[in-house]
Amino acid sequence: MIAAVMILLWAQGVSPELRQHAEAGLKARAAGDLDRAIREFSRVAELAPDLAAAHANLGSVLFENKDYGKAIGPLRRALNLNPDLAGVHQMLGTALLAQGLAGEAIAHLEKVKATDLLGIALVEAGRAREAVDRLEAALAQHSGDPDLLYYLGQAHAQLSRGLFGRLMAGTGARAEQARGEAAMSAGRSAEAEKHFRAALGARPDLRGVHLALGELYLLNADFARAEKEFRAESQVAPASAEAAYKLGLCLANLGQPAAALTEFERALQLRPGMPETALELGKALMATGRDGDAARMLEKAVEWEPESGLAEAAYLQLNTVYRKLGRGGDAARVMEKLQQLRKRR
Amino acid sequence: MALAQTFFVFEPLLLPFEHRNSPTSQKYLIETMGGGIALLDYDGDGRLDLFLVNGGKLEDPSGPKPDFARGEPAYGNRLYRQTGSGNFEDVTERVGLRDGPNVYGMGVATGDIDNDGDVDLYLTGYGENTLYRNQGDGTFRGTGEAKAGGWSVSAAFLDFDNDGWLDLFVARYLEWSIATNILCGTPFHAYCRPDKFRGVTNVLYRNEGGGRFRDVSRETGIGAIVGKGMGVAVNDYDGDGFADIFVANDGMEQYLLHNEKGAAFREVGLEAGVALSGDARSYAGMGAAFADYDNDGRPDIVVTNLALEKYALYRNEGGGSFRYATLESGLAAQTARHSGWGVGLHDFDNDGNKDLFAAQGHVLDNVERIQTGLRYEEEPGLYWNRGGKFQAAALGLAPVAGRGAAFGDINNDGRVDVAVSVLGGKPMILMNRTGPPGVTVRLRGTKSNRDGAGATVKAKGQTVYVSTGGSYLSASDGRVHLAGKVERVEVCWPGGKVQSAVIGPGPVATITEKP
Repeated sequence: MIAAVMILLWAQGVSPELRQHAEAGLKARAAGDLDRAIREFSRVAELAPDLAAAHANLGSVLFENKDYGKAIGPLRRALNLNPDLAGVHQMLGTALLAQGLAGEAIAHLEKVKATDLLGIALVEAGRAREAVDRLEAALAQHSGDPDLLYYLGQAHAQLSRGLFGRLMAGTGARAEQARGEAAMSAGRSAEAEKHFRAALGARPDLRGVHLALGELYLLNADFARAEKEFRAESQVAPASAEAAYKLGLCLANLGQPAAALTEFERALQLRPGMPETALELGKALMATGRDGDAARMLEKAVEWEPESGLAEAAYLQLNTVYRKLGRGGDAARVMEKLQQLRKRR
Repeated sequence: MALAQTFFVFEPLLLPFEHRNSPTSQKYLIETMGGGIALLDYDGDGRLDLFLVNGGKLEDPSGPKPDFARGEPAYGNRLYRQTGSGNFEDVTERVGLRDGPNVYGMGVATGDIDNDGDVDLYLTGYGENTLYRNQGDGTFRGTGEAKAGGWSVSAAFLDFDNDGWLDLFVARYLEWSIATNILCGTPFHAYCRPDKFRGVTNVLYRNEGGGRFRDVSRETGIGAIVGKGMGVAVNDYDGDGFADIFVANDGMEQYLLHNEKGAAFREVGLEAGVALSGDARSYAGMGAAFADYDNDGRPDIVVTNLALEKYALYRNEGGGSFRYATLESGLAAQTARHSGWGVGLHDFDNDGNKDLFAAQGHVLDNVERIQTGLRYEEEPGLYWNRGGKFQAAALGLAPVAGRGAAFGDINNDGRVDVAVSVLGGKPMILMNRTGPPGVTVRLRGTKSNRDGAGATVKAKGQTVYVSTGGSYLSASDGRVHLAGKVERVEVCWPGGKVQSAVIGPGPVATITEKP
């Protein structure tokens, strides 16, 4: 970019002083002395205030120095003098975005079709719907890029908030359910409970509301009330593995391992392959004295999820059950796995 | 069960003690941790007396080396002697316990360190610890032994090498000082979590006889184990005749220190299954009880912790292995919303099953502003043991910031009473009026240590280990309690010698070790 602008500069028959500063700036930049390059190009811009290339050079060196705030002025002046400098649009768009001026950045990024940065600028400007396609396209080029994934997530969250905002502006069971969920996310338990109750008042068979209420009580370790809600959810949504699993959790915490075991078995039938359910089922089997069955279920849990906090819990329980079964070698093996996982954290 | 049938608050007129923790806006960690309490018969008159550890004075803010003003009556420790009429008189000055080092007080341990038949006293604190020898004439004298240094919390006497002399284990908490204190929490400042500070090592002292204690932490392996120790409880979990130590750590794994035949200790918490919760999570271990709750002859472990963590119950399955039994015992639902400190497993209703008692209250004095639904001050918790399932009792007591809890038969009526220390408040003396009386048995060691610490007493399916340690910051009656009409007991003395003994009528009995 700088070289191209310099060629333009030299071609215009400038004064020796200007040429001297321009060449010095170019050399300093090539040597990595950006502070000197900035000084020289600043002088060039003073000597040739109507020359787009002079401001473009200064702006580009400031940009290279990551001094985005200071780069914006010269880059803007360069584009005022010559709106066709594509590279300057790219730099100005990026600098504006870096300074949080997403709305202004969009026009410049659109000119150079900078899909990734444009997507990000659109999210930051609150134009999530337009951003989604561009970010998806950019992700297709840069698979797994964490910045792009983050902003795509933000875009969907904005869209989701918009939809729920419209829903919550209305009335009825779904609006109350949404208000309850929002209050629950914000940690306002009493308010959440009120809205969930209102939702059930309007539609007693609304799926997910008893589940949310149960989770609310579970968060506060009120297992008895949570149990009632998960039972009610299981009535309105008999195929809900989540309700069965959480009902099992409540029963286990209420000291009813046999009843909990039944629910965990039901949850695993409804949604096979769930390591959380296998772990809790294994623990319930241990609590009811079925150590051999417990060992087999806990082995499934670590098979399905070999490396996580859940796996640590399963290995810990396996150690206990293997020792009880007289399988000292297996106990030592799972202890080693447990130690490895804990060290890795 | 109604209050009138269980405990009632007994607040003697001559017990004007008020714990002074001196809370500041700086939220110095020591402010929220203190309040040791002990039940001991210091004068050998057969009646339990009461010792209370005070905190100290703190300026707001304090300099790096503050004067805790422990010499001022308001900030001093107190020994209350139980009189014949059941009242308590302040004998602190008379017995020579008024003066002590400039430390912020924490906990207390008791034991007969010189086998002379009277109870000696060990006080822990922030700064250093003090061992007071009971001179047998009704007075105590500081020995300058076992000072430890740093910030000590709970301590317990035990004869770890079975040589007949009580040794001493001291749990230390954090590498923290007033100078290195930091403010935590927004928008409300709160006491910092322990993960903001490094852990420290505990200390083991061997009783060399003649009142001398030697730091054997290094040679026994104790000095290589870094933790964040709070509560200490002692029992022989694998029945090998040597006392093992459980340490409740705050915000990390719990420690079970296996006694390697009196020569060393090995930390086996994780492999034994007592280091973590059933979800493999660490928690804020506070107090610990190490006793047989299910009458299978093997000691189990209960650890108190913070609200939403659930008190941990580890059932001893034999073979050196424990199982996290909090859920099926009913303790999860009963304790999930409580924060516990001092704790004990004792048979309060004399039905043959040890019940659970916990001094309760959150560690954060502003928890209500930080987390809705939780309380700073809580009623002490009593959980009846109904055949291995625990049920909360409605005591109807005032909510307090409970910390220490000491257990013993204060009025010798064959029932276990409780003394609870209250952070920044007056202690609660809870006299037990529940059920028929049991029997309180005192052991007299002759070859073993005089207290019989480390012995196990068995009768009618009950197994009770002799120790004044356990709980949090506290020391309990060294006598053991058995339910029912007990006529014969079996005593397994430290080292394994078994003695059968006949118990005479009456609520209190003494068994002397046969030579």
